[in-house]
Amino acid sequence: MNKPNLLKHVTVAALVACAAPVALAQTDAELKSLENELMALADRIERLEDVAEVENLQRAYGYYVDKSLWYDLADLWTDEGTLEIGGRGVFLGRHRVFEYMSVGLGAPGPKPGMLYDHQQFQPIVTINPDGKTAEARAIAFVTSGGGWGHNYYENDYVKEDGVWKMQSLHGPFNMYSGYDIGWLDNTTLNTFPEKFDPPPDLPPTVIYLTYPNYYVEPFHYPNPVTGEPMPAPDPAAGGEAFGRYQE
Amino acid sequence: MNKTRTNALLVLAVAVLGSSAALAQSGSNRVDELRDRLAWLDAETTRVEDIIAIQRLQRAFGYYLDKGYFGEAAALFADDGQVQYGVDGVYIGQNRIQELFTRHGGGSTNAGPGLPFGRFNMHMQLQPMITVADDGESAQGRWRDWAMLGNYQQAIEWGDAVLENDYVKADGVWKISQMRYYTNFVAPYEGGWAKLENVRGDWATQVSAEFPPDEASPVRYQPFPSLFVPPFHYDNDLTAIQSTVPLPTQARPDDALGRLEAMADAQAHKLARASSLRAIENLQAMYGYYVDKGLWEDAASLFTDDGTWESGRSGVYIGRDSIERGLSLMGPEGLEYGQLNNYPMLQPIITVAEDNMTAKGRWRSDVMLARDGEGQWGGGVYENEYVNDDGTWKISKQLYYVVFWADYDIGFSARGAIPMDPPSTTNPPDAPSTVDYESLPNIYIIPFHFDHPVTGEPHSYLDGGDEYE
Repeated sequence: MNKPNLLKHVTVAALVACAAPVALAQTDAELKSLENELMALADRIERLEDVAEVENLQRAYGYYVDKSLWYDLADLWTDEGTLEIGGRGVFLGRHRVFEYMSVGLGAPGPKPGMLYDHQQFQPIVTINPDGKTAEARAIAFVTSGGGWGHNYYENDYVKEDGVWKMQSLHGPFNMYSGYDIGWLDNTTLNTFPEKFDPPPDLPPTVIYLTYPNYYVEPFHYPNPVTGEPMPAPDPAAGGEAFGRYQE
Repeated sequence: MNKTRTNALLVLAVAVLGSSAALAQSGSNRVDELRDRLAWLDAETTRVEDIIAIQRLQRAFGYYLDKGYFGEAAALFADDGQVQYGVDGVYIGQNRIQELFTRHGGGSTNAGPGLPFGRFNMHMQLQPMITVADDGESAQGRWRDWAMLGNYQQAIEWGDAVLENDYVKADGVWKISQMRYYTNFVAPYEGGWAKLENVRGDWATQVSAEFPPDEASPVRYQPFPSLFVPPFHYDNDLTAIQSTVPLPTQARPDDALGRLEAMADAQAHKLARASSLRAIENLQAMYGYYVDKGLWEDAASLFTDDGTWESGRSGVYIGRDSIERGLSLMGPEGLEYGQLNNYPMLQPIITVAEDNMTAKGRWRSDVMLARDGEGQWGGGVYENEYVNDDGTWKISKQLYYVVFWADYDIGFSARGAIPMDPPSTTNPPDAPSTVDYESLPNIYIIPFHFDHPVTGEPHSYLDGGDEYE
């Protein structure tokens, strides 16, 4: 899956070639305009691949969590990449991502009788204009021996040497419940740094309570039709808005 | 087969074949050909961009419903956009659509975005099957809306619906022009869908009584446990699962124009693979929507002549007739009253081969079943293979690994686990199972067809070396 970025070399070759005298009937201007068109197309085609690669990266993460494949999971991160899940604070670097998983959730490898399916749904991937960074909103829908989990992601990705990597996984919980009565009652309101090992490197970036409370993780993208950024939630709608909106 | 696209492909092929005799041509002909080729590449790139844009649009819709952003959800519709909701009727225009979803979602009509304490309104938008029209100005999409609903300490429900939507592109922006929201059920959490009683007569929602639609419903049907197949937008139109066949590699003249031609060749190939990825995403979604409704013949028609199908310990069924037999182990063609057979197609990781002629795909299903009044959950992973058959993608191998079957009333603990069925004796497979494993409470690591997306190496699985010591 790791392809060197040949395109750039081809482009440079074409640029050099165009500077040379052309014996054929076409003019330099014609060639230049065709080349510009091609380069614009090449950029757009590259974006199509970028979107798919970021989607795949996020989906691979879910398949790795399913089976506690922590080596493969941590390898998705850049060296300095971060992880923040629920309310447990921020973990800095690929090795701490590994520690978060292997200490907090158990040694690598599945445990007999235990299900931890972490399904990855509904990705909205935005490749930034630089083509080197990206963001995504997505859902983890968890079916586990312990019951249900639903959380959002607002993640950052970076392309290093032509390969997309996880730069920041930010996964606020939305709803965690047991199975017997589901989210009818006794949901888990959130996790907290002092309640779990290992301790984080930094405190949580946002303090909020999950369902039945109301919290909306800010959207990284504007409304795709109006192009307008998302408004903050209106307290008059009835829910308590925790976290970043209460500054 | 879609004629315009076929013609476009032919034009491209002729243009390229023609230019293989490039030395015999004048430079200006070659320039014209390259110009035509770029126009075609532009159109095809736009089509794939459109698929991605429409996926984004529909997913944004789900995120807005989740958190009570009903005005933002309504703003995704065209000014004269419509929502046909279950059998309630049709609501027309953004204001009406905003109020419709506010009322269904338990929001406030007198406040901005948000939801009251305790209100749950999750609408996951899954399994896109997107067809962009030839002119690129409109599109259609089928989606699965899997909802988790309710009010804390009062009542909670599962929701299951299929959406068949029309989209329109205006000034470069895709909007929803029509949403047909086909509710299959809204089932109490306790007991789940399997305990639903038959709905007799009118089952219009309470919302429609208080907030009447602008037009009467053009459809009448009964929800689950009755059987209803929401109409498919794609009947015989297979454009959504088509991509280009790679052209023979050819040497381009070693001049400035030749280098541009070679660049265009490389981009066309890259684009074909990006287009194939979306075609395969559509293909597997089509298959899933057929399986949901017990349409075994339609589902089997998506396989190659010698395609194989294997599910859990079923053994291998080979060829379309045999695959239809294998599928029918799940029930009669079209299913029976009270049977639920939801096999959503989720979390794809699709890898298109360098030559664009084959591909592999990992997917998962989170299965909802009902048989004889009993509900069951299922979970599993597909590792499938695909073939580019003269421009149309087909499934050449489907292998579904069952992760678990679980009793709805017990859940996902080992206590609720139900073992896989043994191979059928009445409709036996053509070959024995290719994999040997047990589902929950046993855990089996299903091998990945792809290398690790970051390291580019085979997966570590449980052997990480000393990197993380």
